[in-house]
Amino acid sequence: MNPVLTALLLFQSPSPSPTPVVDALERMPALFTIIYVAGFGFIILLLFLSLLRSRKRPPATAAIPADLPKEVRKRLGSASTNRGLRALRWLFILLAFGLFGFHIYWARYAAEDNETFQQLSYKDLRMRRLSESTLRGWILDRSGRLDQPLAYYKRDSTGEIQREYPMDKAMAHLFGSDRGDPGLERALFGTQSGALPEAWDVVRRRTQEFKGNQDVRLTIDRNLQQAAVDQLKGKHGAVVVLNPQTGEVLALYSEPSYSLSEVSDEATWIRLESNERDKPLVSRALGAYYIPGSTFKTVTMTAAFLAGEQDTEFTCSGGGYYAAPGANVIYDDGGAGEVHGRIGIDQAYEVSCNQYFAQMGVKLGPERLKRAAQLLGIGTYDTPVEALRGRKQPEIWNGSTDAVKRALAPREATIVTGKQVTRYDLALMGYGQGYAGQMTPLQMSLAAAAIGNTEGKLMKPKIEYKLPPQVFNQVMPAATAEKLRSIMGLVTGGPSGTARGVFAPVKAAGINTGGKTGTAQKVVPVYDPKTGEPKRQHKVERDNRGNIIREYDEVVMDEEHPRIDGWFLCIAPLEKPQLAIAVIVEGGGYGSRSAAPIAAALVLKARDLGYFSGVKPATPAKKTVK
Amino acid sequence: MKNRASSHLLIIFIIIGLEIVGYLGVHRAAALRGYETSVIGGVRDLLMFIPLIILVLWLSRSKHFIGNWVLFTTAILLFSFGMLVQYRLYSDPEYNARNKAAAREEKMQALRTRYIMENYDPVKKQMMGLPPTPAQPIQVSQIPQKPSNYSLWNALTSSYTWIPIFSFLALAIAYSLCSRDGFLLWLQRNSFIIVLFTLVPLAGAVVTSSAGKALGNMTPWEPSKIPFLIGFAGILTARYKDLAETYWGIPRAKDIIPLLVMAAMPFVPFFALKDFGQMLIFSGAYTTLYLVAVRRWPQLLLFVGSIVVVISILVVGALPRDIQEKVPLLPTLARPISAALPSRIQQRFHLWLDGFDPPSPEVSWWKKDYEEALQSDPRLKELAEQSPAMQKAVNIDIWFDKLAFQPAQAVFGIAAGRTSGRGFGLGFPEVIPIADSDYVYAAIAEETGLLGGAMVILAVIIFVIAGVRTSLESRDMFTKLCAAGLTAFVGFQALVNIGGILRALPMTGITLPFVSHGGFSLITSFAMLGMLLAFSNRNARDRVIAEIPAVKSSSSPLKLEAVQ
Repeated sequence: MNPVLTALLLFQSPSPSPTPVVDALERMPALFTIIYVAGFGFIILLLFLSLLRSRKRPPATAAIPADLPKEVRKRLGSASTNRGLRALRWLFILLAFGLFGFHIYWARYAAEDNETFQQLSYKDLRMRRLSESTLRGWILDRSGRLDQPLAYYKRDSTGEIQREYPMDKAMAHLFGSDRGDPGLERALFGTQSGALPEAWDVVRRRTQEFKGNQDVRLTIDRNLQQAAVDQLKGKHGAVVVLNPQTGEVLALYSEPSYSLSEVSDEATWIRLESNERDKPLVSRALGAYYIPGSTFKTVTMTAAFLAGEQDTEFTCSGGGYYAAPGANVIYDDGGAGEVHGRIGIDQAYEVSCNQYFAQMGVKLGPERLKRAAQLLGIGTYDTPVEALRGRKQPEIWNGSTDAVKRALAPREATIVTGKQVTRYDLALMGYGQGYAGQMTPLQMSLAAAAIGNTEGKLMKPKIEYKLPPQVFNQVMPAATAEKLRSIMGLVTGGPSGTARGVFAPVKAAGINTGGKTGTAQKVVPVYDPKTGEPKRQHKVERDNRGNIIREYDEVVMDEEHPRIDGWFLCIAPLEKPQLAIAVIVEGGGYGSRSAAPIAAALVLKARDLGYFSGVKPATPAKKTVK
Repeated sequence: MKNRASSHLLIIFIIIGLEIVGYLGVHRAAALRGYETSVIGGVRDLLMFIPLIILVLWLSRSKHFIGNWVLFTTAILLFSFGMLVQYRLYSDPEYNARNKAAAREEKMQALRTRYIMENYDPVKKQMMGLPPTPAQPIQVSQIPQKPSNYSLWNALTSSYTWIPIFSFLALAIAYSLCSRDGFLLWLQRNSFIIVLFTLVPLAGAVVTSSAGKALGNMTPWEPSKIPFLIGFAGILTARYKDLAETYWGIPRAKDIIPLLVMAAMPFVPFFALKDFGQMLIFSGAYTTLYLVAVRRWPQLLLFVGSIVVVISILVVGALPRDIQEKVPLLPTLARPISAALPSRIQQRFHLWLDGFDPPSPEVSWWKKDYEEALQSDPRLKELAEQSPAMQKAVNIDIWFDKLAFQPAQAVFGIAAGRTSGRGFGLGFPEVIPIADSDYVYAAIAEETGLLGGAMVILAVIIFVIAGVRTSLESRDMFTKLCAAGLTAFVGFQALVNIGGILRALPMTGITLPFVSHGGFSLITSFAMLGMLLAFSNRNARDRVIAEIPAVKSSSSPLKLEAVQ
């Protein structure tokens, strides 16, 4: 056989990234369209020239008898009717161009600027047509194996080609469906990424950049994700697992979730969307605000180290701490009976001392808290109203396109650091209550990840495997990060650490970890057990004469039985952390009992998956000493 | 370019060439998108140019036409664009098949299978449950060709064959009649009786029509525009000098009342027919004519002022409730207005001003549709009854599936077209209902983008400039007003149609002249074109008379021909 031919055949073997051959075929109709429109334009030009030419001809007033005086002829020519006609002609041309302005708006700007238009784009049948006809790429997990895809196409028994999600519910919040806010499916492959080719682009072969049909490898580890799903089963909560060194998201899951195959049915979608109690369509990891409770002490501690206040000691007394005269007293969880005495920051963090961090919050003041919060990606606002607005924060992601960043954008976690913040507010914020009550699980995992990074950098989270890591902020010097890691280590490994018991099996497995428990009470609405709707009360406001000023429905809040949310932050292994975990369990009770076991299980699972193989644990050495 | 028949014949040949390019593009795109174009239909469309060329020859050879050819060529240009868009739409089985879902599914399946064969490597194919063959590019010749089911018989009996031919005939007849001075004089003298006689068949149409349409999707009262216009122009010609004599800016009652009666006449049947688009066009054309004939500043202000008042009353009445509540006193003002406005107008105004937001299900004109949808789908009904939030979501869905479906899909299509469009056959205009007549501009904007839209608008502007020139050059008031009125009809109709699709105006369900081939409107447009051509020819002849010094201005046209 001809050697050249053999070489050619070799090159024809399947290539990893398929070239979009379809475009080559579409070039011809696209080119013909351009030719047609151009030809149309040419004819318009000819007709316009013809009009211009005929304008030079003597006007019809030439028919006025020539023997009349010149002035009379002129007057007769510019009859008032003709002036009116000319004015109306210009008015028409103006109106026509005005209409074209509307066309320009819809064609060029509506898709980018008109919010209602964007929200309703799922009503656009074209989008569904496109997503049905141009096959999207497959989505693979971090192993990159084609035989274990997260999203792919399958031919069913009737010969129809269907998009399949082998992990369905586990990936639903990340992938998103064709309805509602776009998720990764639409951000990576959808028409919203602006990749829809125009005829002109097709002709110029510019559509090669169209990524809509190329496979995407995610950083998600399907086994870890599945472990998170199993751990959260039957609860309400979320898990975020990051690699603090690179920002790779290894698992991100929110329970309750929904099935991607079911929401293609409109009625199911509507039912899920209006479920206000469980909110299955909302990713709790990204889009829900929680009171961070004691886990926020990690942020306060970081702020203390950044401010050089790490050696300050405070007293934790039985009488509690009064931030200001007349303010409520701040106790620890155990009430007046829990007394730690005069302690340093490491011990206070280990036993999770509220009084210490309340005093630290006051000592640091708004400015220094603000600086640390901003370094960690937490938004700082002057008033509570601004802080509650819940802006989307796409810029925190390291993503290939803005569409990907928008699809994954968390609500911005916020604290209030304005002028009107009192000493009492600062004390509450110091241990994660009050104005610090707007934290997302992703944000808390980032706070842990900054400490977990060996260089003290906060890496931007990323979900696309091929992207190089990006630094969000150099939060602290490497030495500080190491010191903070050792303090976090006390929580799981110290003599009185709050998560010591739960993490005993992890320690026994030879993995050193660090962590922080947290517990927060949140007042939630009363839900009707039958419909799942929040209970509402009709209220009527009257002035002092008894006239009705306004009537409104108010959601009834269950003040007596607040929901107790359990938190846990974790970094593992302590020597060179490969995981930064944030776990929240709604209504789970104490963080050490509800959330910490989940984190421990995930660490063990990650060990089994070989995430710690490159890190030599220091523990075996210690053991031999003992 | 010279204003000669030969030059414009050349342009028509260029148009034929462009049409062939366009048809080939649609044909290839159809093969790629999994449907078939019909050769018979394409040939039928191209054969339409034969009567057009015959018309040109007839005008220039037999009728010695020396008027403005630009009018004719621009109309043909628009007509051919419309023909191409219709060819593309009717080739797509999804557009007019009975079972749209099945047609769509077939298209999708063809596309997907081809994509997988071309791009998936053996591992992927195996995962999908397909034979693991290597990825290979497919040639166009490999795509299986399906025979089109459009037969010669279909073509011969189709309205799309006969309506253009009738339109050309209408042009010829209108031209022959209107080039006779005697006929024009007769028209002018008997204008009132003509209008009265027009009302009789219209009354019949009122009885038989429903929702502004009759005989399916037709508007057979479309040609009545011409006699109404002639009537108004006739009475204005007789009275314009008296009308200009005003007392405190107001003309005398004995002058203005007959004019008002004449002007109101078309509005009665059109109101009864619920054809509000025509009313809008009549208002525009009549205002134009009055302002052209009677130029008095106070009256101009009065006119403009009353138009502004009427529009603001309509807008105020139709504004959505939540916007009304933001302005003090507005709800109180709006309540009686919205009670008086016909529900169809309220609905159109809501679609225009707040089309992306459904009205509450309690609103009278929406309630019926909403409840019908609930009746037909018991599952939705069950959902809607569960809670207010659920009802809101259900309401939005029904809104976009019913009333807002067509305008929303049109706007999405325009947005998808961007600057140069998706290309013929490569967009999805088939999802817009009636994209071949009322919404033809949306189909054009999707497949040829801003550029195509600009071409259509420029062509309309050129037509209007040429029409206004015909009116400017006319030396008697009657033809001047007729020409101005005809131009205004065509121009305003285009503006109202395009404006409705682009949401600059409320949508009214009238066609884009010459481009939409929707039955009677095309015939009417070509008849109007014939009249304009006749007037243009008349003006040119007048000029020739003036340019020949030897011939006295009193000489008859018969002698003039001898001189030539």
